[in-house]
Amino acid sequence: MRKFIATLGATALIVGGTLTLIPSANAATPTVVTTDGKLTNGAAYTMKVPSNFNGTFFVWNHGFRPSFPYPTYTPPTGVDELTPYSVNRKADVTAEMLKAGYGIASYDRVSTGGLHGWNTTDGVEMLKDMVDTARAKVTNIKKVVVYGSSGATPVINQFIEKYPDKADAVGLLAGLSATSASIQSACDYFYLLSVFADPTIKGCAAFGVAKGAAGHMASLGEFAKAGALLSAWSKDLGAKPLAYPAPLAAAGIPQRSALLLAGLMVGIPTKSSHMDGISTSAVVAEHSINATVAILENSQDALGTGTFAGQAIGEIVGPGFYDNTKTNWFALLSAADSGRYNLGLSGDDAIAAMLGVLSMMPRVKGDPAAVAKFKALDAINYSSDKPTILLSNEADRLVFAGNSALYVENARASYKARLAKYKAGTGTKPVWNTFAMYALTPETYTKFSDAGLPDLAGPVAESGVGHQSFTTAQMMGWVNLLAQSAKTGKAPSQKFVASSIFAKIDPNLSTDPDFLPNLLKYKS
Amino acid sequence: MLAFVAGVAVSTLAITALPATAASDPGVSATEIVLGMQLPQSGAASPGYNKVDDAMRGYFDYVNSKGGIYGRKVRLVVKDDQYKAGLTVSSASSLINKDKVFAFIGSVGTQTHISVIGDINRRGIPDLFVNSGYSGFYTDPTVYPNSFAALGTYVVESKIVGKYLKDTYPTKKIGILYQTDDFGRNALAGFTTAGLTFEAKKTAVNFIAGTQGSLGLASQLTALKANGVEIVIVAAVASATAIAVATAAQLGYKPEKWVVTSVGSDATTFQTILGSKGITPAVSAGMLAGIISASHAPSPGEATDEYVVAFKKINDDFNKGPDKRWDNNVLQGMNIAYMATSALFGVGKDLTRKGLVSYIENNGPNISSAALSPLSYSRTTHEAFKSFWIGAYDGATVLKPIDGTRVLYTTDSGAGPVTVSNYVRPALPADAIAKGA
Repeated sequence: MRKFIATLGATALIVGGTLTLIPSANAATPTVVTTDGKLTNGAAYTMKVPSNFNGTFFVWNHGFRPSFPYPTYTPPTGVDELTPYSVNRKADVTAEMLKAGYGIASYDRVSTGGLHGWNTTDGVEMLKDMVDTARAKVTNIKKVVVYGSSGATPVINQFIEKYPDKADAVGLLAGLSATSASIQSACDYFYLLSVFADPTIKGCAAFGVAKGAAGHMASLGEFAKAGALLSAWSKDLGAKPLAYPAPLAAAGIPQRSALLLAGLMVGIPTKSSHMDGISTSAVVAEHSINATVAILENSQDALGTGTFAGQAIGEIVGPGFYDNTKTNWFALLSAADSGRYNLGLSGDDAIAAMLGVLSMMPRVKGDPAAVAKFKALDAINYSSDKPTILLSNEADRLVFAGNSALYVENARASYKARLAKYKAGTGTKPVWNTFAMYALTPETYTKFSDAGLPDLAGPVAESGVGHQSFTTAQMMGWVNLLAQSAKTGKAPSQKFVASSIFAKIDPNLSTDPDFLPNLLKYKS
Repeated sequence: MLAFVAGVAVSTLAITALPATAASDPGVSATEIVLGMQLPQSGAASPGYNKVDDAMRGYFDYVNSKGGIYGRKVRLVVKDDQYKAGLTVSSASSLINKDKVFAFIGSVGTQTHISVIGDINRRGIPDLFVNSGYSGFYTDPTVYPNSFAALGTYVVESKIVGKYLKDTYPTKKIGILYQTDDFGRNALAGFTTAGLTFEAKKTAVNFIAGTQGSLGLASQLTALKANGVEIVIVAAVASATAIAVATAAQLGYKPEKWVVTSVGSDATTFQTILGSKGITPAVSAGMLAGIISASHAPSPGEATDEYVVAFKKINDDFNKGPDKRWDNNVLQGMNIAYMATSALFGVGKDLTRKGLVSYIENNGPNISSAALSPLSYSRTTHEAFKSFWIGAYDGATVLKPIDGTRVLYTTDSGAGPVTVSNYVRPALPADAIAKGA
């Protein structure tokens, strides 16, 4: 039987990698003036201004990068991404943005001392430096848009609250809302795998204990353990009965049911690059099996988030930041998921057995000081009135789309609170200026071989899957809306997604003003 | 014979003015009300259920032929979800965003509807007359304030049938085969509340919903047989009932009685499934004969019931579906559309989503229905029927009251007792269109 996923190991991560910048000579017209320089801390930057510059200048902030190498990954030096880069298409939108008349800039997000990691605080000042530098050197800038992806979004969010006058619009691409909410779920995944598959997995309990290169290698070891067991499960679709924990050993529950349970409890998307969560075949006989394979396919990135971000965060807030002593495991499996995926979970009795045994397993008790710092990490007030436009993939497996929904929810709560204060006579009148866009997957796209095995090597779904993987149309639609919002000071109303204008951007963007992706399991 | 269908030329609907339009609610205009429905029109779960939508549309077309509801024609948009929850989610999105339905109606399937009920309610869309008896959808309207049942809950039905079995067969060993999902759990809870006791894996056996076709039910039935179960309850969908009965026959297992929940006893599905296994209709009718079940409605074969007669005629004249043979699925579809028409008329010309939900909550028992049980909708529950009569199938696949006398029993979805109901169903309006409470 074919392997369904490439053998996981430390070699298989997609975070990072090197890029070839699109040379300005490749831009159609116009001509472009490129400026390379260094920020105050020595980090390199690049700016490009086209001859048809329309006054709107975009400053790109790429996502989190681990500070240390591993096979296939070298920490970037210099400017890593000039504009939003699609991992699936292996292309950015530099040429398109220059052609549209936007000025662009980006910079090496390395902190002073040469390390990347989770450097939100440094990042805020570096971004300020970049914006100030751009304004000083490109004197005909009218509007500045700060935009970024993934682990850079905490930087941008803190930046715009600290320096509200430095930018005119904010773009958050596949972004984190509450950092601790996302990482808590990633840590839960490690824990659940330790319960049901490999008791030697320590997961987040091991992150941050050692720092630097040693800590990085220790975290890689945890990732490799998780990767190895997922690889083993992929060989037979997780058909073998669970051997752990001991009380479940005689129950005959297949491993894949525990994988599906863990994935649902963590919120891993049940659609992936090749699995649409619906299609069936002789081998993938029911949709919940399709969803299980999707979770398997998504697990690499989900674990990668936990591993590298977890280690980097652990070095900042301290080891012992993960605590699940108060986690209600039963509550993490919704009634809807329990019903919808009942077959893949092996039925009510198996669900009850797995959750029951799980609830009796020893918990991970964290260090209260580290836990407190973890929960407060990257905190913002959601008090910016600048137009903020978010774009997420429905089935992003690394930074779940629920982050965007949580951002909007928190922003709305902040807006209502400030509005109430304003009406009571204090503060300034707040502005509701947030707009969320979601790229959806096609309804069905799984391909099967004649034998009924899913094709996990073919082209990925055209939209909605992967992390920071968008079509050019989706990215440029987002960019153009940012530019427009920067000019007017107003983000579109959410009702705009139902308009014919919005529908023309890309056929896979959600046109439902009330669309919500799967929500995060935690809010903080 | 009652005059039941307008062969008359004059419509009884008086339209004095163009109706007010609900400016803010999608799916309703001066001329049209758009309703959306999800069900398995194809796939393994579809036999029988795939007739419900055509029956509903047939009734709505009849109403439209009489001028509609305050001048608005009812248009039913149907999506085939193949009983796959992933398709239920995507097709719900399509109904909401592309078809812009005013309300959902008659959606079929507990395990599929559970994937969308939260989102439908979040959006404030009425979710009318869901074809699921799962009590968790209805007994606490604060959870799903816009969802209303089309069936009695499995708990209510099972309590009533359970009491009957306990009283009638006090010395017999009773066992249960149920599917492990909310449907099966609900039914098991009801039978247990009624005082029946089961022993797991001996007299209570289960299967994962959806596996009855691929894995069969031999091991479960073998366990019941080995433990001397004399009366077998099947709390599962109709395809599972058919497989259970056929498999038992193959095993030489002849329970004294089969008892099947109403949702699982549909004759069309039963015979279609067995037909696909080479069992002729005559033989499968014989297998169905004697099976005990319950119903809140008249049997489709009750030739003198005025609602049956009227709906049958409307079905003949207006159902354009590929299989319009009269059976329980068609009767249920007609009744749902009839109830919906009653409610839509009752709201009045100023039709809004909130207004419709409020109307149903405040007028539940007065909404017209072909059922022999009153509707129970209120602010504290969105259950439909709390009364059932118990019958047995005859050789012609018609469910008939046991001992020839129909007794309607009533109870709640909690621990309340089972008592006899004296409800008398109101007469059918002359044109078979109920215009509100």
